[in-house]
Amino acid sequence: MRVGKIITAACIMLLAGLMLFGCGGEEQKPAETKTDSHSEAKDASPILVGGLVDMSGPTSSVGVPYAAGLKAGVKYVNDNGGIDGRPIEFDLQDTAYNVQTGLSLYKKMVNEKVVCIQGYGSAVTEALTRSLAKDKIPDLSASYSAHLTDPAKAPYNFFIAADYSTQARAAIKYFRDTWTETRAPKIAFIYPDHPYGLAPIKGAKAYAEELGFELVGDANVSLKAIDATTELLPLKDAAPDFCWIGGTTPSTSVILKSAKNIGMDTVFFTNIWGSDENLYKLAGDDANGAYSNQAAAVYGDDVPGMKAIMEITNNEPQMTHFTRGFVSILVMAEGLKRAGANGPITGEAVKTALETLRDFDPMGLAPLISYFPDDHRPNMAVFLYTIKDGKLTFVKEQILERRADWLGH
Amino acid sequence: MQGKCGLFFTSYKGEAQIFQSGFQKIMIVLLIMALCVAPFALNSYLVSVMNQIFIAVIAAVSLNLLTGMCGQISLGHGAFLGVGAYAAGQCTLHGVPFPLAILAGGLVTAMVGMVFGIPSLRLKGIYLAIATLAAQLVLEYFFLHGGALTGGSNGLLLESPQIFGFTFDTEGRMYFLLFFCAAMALLMVSNIMRSKHGRAFISIRDFYLSAEIVGVNLFWYKLIAFGVSSFLAGVAGGLWGHYTGYISAEQFNIGLSISYLAMVVIGGLGSVIGSVFGAIFITLLPEVLNGVANGLGAFFPDVTQYIVALREGVFGLVLILFLIYEPEGLAHRWKLIKAYWKLYPFAH
Repeated sequence: MRVGKIITAACIMLLAGLMLFGCGGEEQKPAETKTDSHSEAKDASPILVGGLVDMSGPTSSVGVPYAAGLKAGVKYVNDNGGIDGRPIEFDLQDTAYNVQTGLSLYKKMVNEKVVCIQGYGSAVTEALTRSLAKDKIPDLSASYSAHLTDPAKAPYNFFIAADYSTQARAAIKYFRDTWTETRAPKIAFIYPDHPYGLAPIKGAKAYAEELGFELVGDANVSLKAIDATTELLPLKDAAPDFCWIGGTTPSTSVILKSAKNIGMDTVFFTNIWGSDENLYKLAGDDANGAYSNQAAAVYGDDVPGMKAIMEITNNEPQMTHFTRGFVSILVMAEGLKRAGANGPITGEAVKTALETLRDFDPMGLAPLISYFPDDHRPNMAVFLYTIKDGKLTFVKEQILERRADWLGH
Repeated sequence: MQGKCGLFFTSYKGEAQIFQSGFQKIMIVLLIMALCVAPFALNSYLVSVMNQIFIAVIAAVSLNLLTGMCGQISLGHGAFLGVGAYAAGQCTLHGVPFPLAILAGGLVTAMVGMVFGIPSLRLKGIYLAIATLAAQLVLEYFFLHGGALTGGSNGLLLESPQIFGFTFDTEGRMYFLLFFCAAMALLMVSNIMRSKHGRAFISIRDFYLSAEIVGVNLFWYKLIAFGVSSFLAGVAGGLWGHYTGYISAEQFNIGLSISYLAMVVIGGLGSVIGSVFGAIFITLLPEVLNGVANGLGAFFPDVTQYIVALREGVFGLVLILFLIYEPEGLAHRWKLIKAYWKLYPFAH
């Protein structure tokens, strides 16, 4: 009995000890070697950058090509001399659209002294907003919600595309400018009842009204919908000239097919995640004529940066999400270079450096990018594409004015 | 009364103690001491994992009280956490001191939980599960469309907790706050289990008809179970909201409810210590799988992407294996280990 108790005690002590030290595992990497630039010899130590992307889970279908774009971007930067001779060491991790996973991966990266994060989904990006500000680490994400552009609320959040609201406004402006009839154009909004779907609706509606559109209805179509006929029938009666679709590519294809089935005659235009190269594969000819907002060039477009992408991918076509990941790295690399030129590369220095970007051209792959200390909207421009014969075809780069009242909305 | 061999009580007070033997008391003091020293020895990442475990412990023990002890299955626990997070968040945003805000969050959630607990009088098992699932969906809808109350799709930004001017703005500081709250929650549930109410819960779980025959007011006790469980869930939600500094509708989804249910099942239904084990296990599992993926990635560069895709499958597999080989959860395994050493060197 006594022996048993002693062994139990030893076990518990061991357990407690393990909790204390055993789990400690890795030693903290010395930050100095990563960020030191005062040494006499030219510093060639890698610059650590974390990647938090959903490569599994509900948004993985676009997360995987986005992550591939990030990796290609890092390779491109490193192959071209890195950041003043220092390579980027990219620690890409899967967040699986799970906030807790994202949070603990982020803490791990902070512990390893990353100077910047390449983020992705809304859930994780938004949950990290406060931590980023606390830890002074900038996050270039692919969550384009407008409220992340207001430095007063999200000082360390950046992204490289116009926010969802700005994109919707730009498309609405385009349709208003091309409207030739004398009556007011009618517009309806189709979106999922989801933070991502709801994000641009308020701003887009207000601007549509401002431009003289007549708002004729709304419809909620889930991101997981397999049919949208029931939701679209009331809209058909309202006969909108234009319909905004704020969903993902699968839900857009469902909407386009259902609309065709019920004979709805309207011009559809979609949010950035609602159209990509897969839309035609999913919706077939029903996708033809639909417009989409894009923030980056489509594979094969005649822009300088596409040559680099084609080289790196051995001419294997990639999705537009890939290009955006690539651009996100180019912008970050510019921030790192500018921060490095001013002194040690720290998260705070990268943030300050990014805020000095003015009309930075990511090799033509995306509209020109500027960030200001009090305004993190990268630009007010969006690429409009339409699907013609199954191909995403460039229509126009629509640019809006940088209105102060739109910041964060 | 269960007691160790050779342990005799000379008073009712002695028998009613949570930790009955001196050995247990020493061990618990050592554990508490070890946990108090831990944040100084661990790096900030591990402290953040511990913080997540503490919050999960509060949520798991609250669900265990409802599901494991009272037999009322709930698929809406994640949403109850959300109610607590938003309620506590609104309180601190309106200048209510943090401790009061957390309590208010708990009370609001208790009320909401009791409202959704009303069907429990008529519904049992899978029917109740669906009713609580409805609660999950209704509450999620409210989080998204609650206007200024929930911040809608933008969510709410919260400040770090502050008590008497002391701000808990680092992982280490949050650690002590969360550790304290988790310990209090465990103590609270342990005490409930030793009380008349706890015994009533167990009698309802084991057979509701017998419980009613011996005079247990089913409706009242089921409501209390929902109320107390939701209160603790609300506290956990409030702490989570202030820990991350940001709450949005997406965080309190059905996936969260299921992961708490998994904690309770893996830890051991109806066991307080089981809730702790379950919370630790489920919180650490993705970390361990991540570690394995990264470790293998060092040797086989391309294997990481396959493991990434496999990870959710591994998670499911672990759950299934647990249900097959350890249906009574980790708490049962813990008992067996203890019994083994108690009986050592004799097997029986």
